Amino acid sequence: MTTIRIPTPLRQYTNGQAEITVTGADVGTALNDLTGQHPGLRAHLYTDAGELRAFVNVFLNDEDVRHLQGAATPVSDVDRLMIVPSIAGGSDAELVRVDHAALRVNQATIIVLAAVGFVLDTPWLIVLVAAVMTLGTLLRSPGFRLLYTAVLKPLGWVKPDVIADNAEPHVFAQGLGAAFLWGASLALFAGAPVLGWALSWLVIALAALNLFAGFCAGCFVYYWLARFRAPGFLKTPPTGTFPGLRPRG
Amino acid sequence: MSATTSIVAEAYRALIAHLEAAYPNEGAGLLLGRGDGEDRVITAVLTLPNRWDGPEQTHRFLLTPADMLAGEQEAARRGLDVIGIFHSHPDHPAEPSGFDRDWALPWYVYTITRVTQGRADHTRAWRLREDRSGYCEDNFTIHAETRPMPRG
Repeated sequence: MTTIRIPTPLRQYTNGQAEITVTGADVGTALNDLTGQHPGLRAHLYTDAGELRAFVNVFLNDEDVRHLQGAATPVSDVDRLMIVPSIAGGSDAELVRVDHAALRVNQATIIVLAAVGFVLDTPWLIVLVAAVMTLGTLLRSPGFRLLYTAVLKPLGWVKPDVIADNAEPHVFAQGLGAAFLWGASLALFAGAPVLGWALSWLVIALAALNLFAGFCAGCFVYYWLARFRAPGFLKTPPTGTFPGLRPRG
Repeated sequence: MSATTSIVAEAYRALIAHLEAAYPNEGAGLLLGRGDGEDRVITAVLTLPNRWDGPEQTHRFLLTPADMLAGEQEAARRGLDVIGIFHSHPDHPAEPSGFDRDWALPWYVYTITRVTQGRADHTRAWRLREDRSGYCEDNFTIHAETRPMPRG
């Protein structure tokens, strides 16, 4: 006999009991026995197709059975199963909305740090900016986002500017900028300062074009790649927007 | 007649502050209170990070089982129950979506707050129907301030 702990919202189907004793050699049969004893649970634990619902997580002694052998995970009398919900939700909004204020703070920071790197002849600043932009690209968010969310937004110095837009082209544009800056870093440390600083200034110029004129050159490249059906480039510009140009709010 | 969900003013302020700070992303957390009876009183909220991966956070939120377990334990420590979930719909109506329904559990109260351009301006409370076909709306009220009045 194994014990299964029932989450509060489902206890109305177990006569208020928090723990139910079941029989079964593995997780699947134990759950079957549970829904056999308390049929009201079935609709909330399983989809119409008989799959466990996405939010239903079964833990065997504090370990998610998805990381063990799933429904085939063996259980014994001393084991304790626990049903823990995960909760998700969200609005019906179609296009993802992008906070362009966060993007602009990112562009301004890139421009300032790279320009200071040039003026002080400090290639390490270019490496730092390249690293932060790479990290941001991997996390699919502006690299210097924290400066915006933790400092400038709470202080009220920069107000959110949320526009229906695609997030992916901006992530791609940042990744492209990061690649240029890695190239610049390589050139600077390999003794080719003219090439290194030229690449850095290219990134500064394109970030400035985006910041001041609202044209994202990396997004333009993204949308053209999407047009030629490059794998992984799936988004099309928001309706009525020239590829790369900032959508109207 | 529909049931009532009410929230004490301090808890409502904490909920609003969390959801406005999360804008333009969705924010979420747990509603704590007493779980007995049809009408519910929310006496505290637990704010939680939105664990949904990536830019879809502007219209999606996720609370992991680890968050839920930690929330249950924190509620128990305070002598309360987790009685529901709150989340925001940035620039979108305070009504449950089809996606909300797919993930909803019965019995919990779900409050949804519309956050318009960074300002929370409408909150409604919902409960999933037994047969998962849709939601019933609760009357949602906010208690008056409970701070003691200074004696003159």
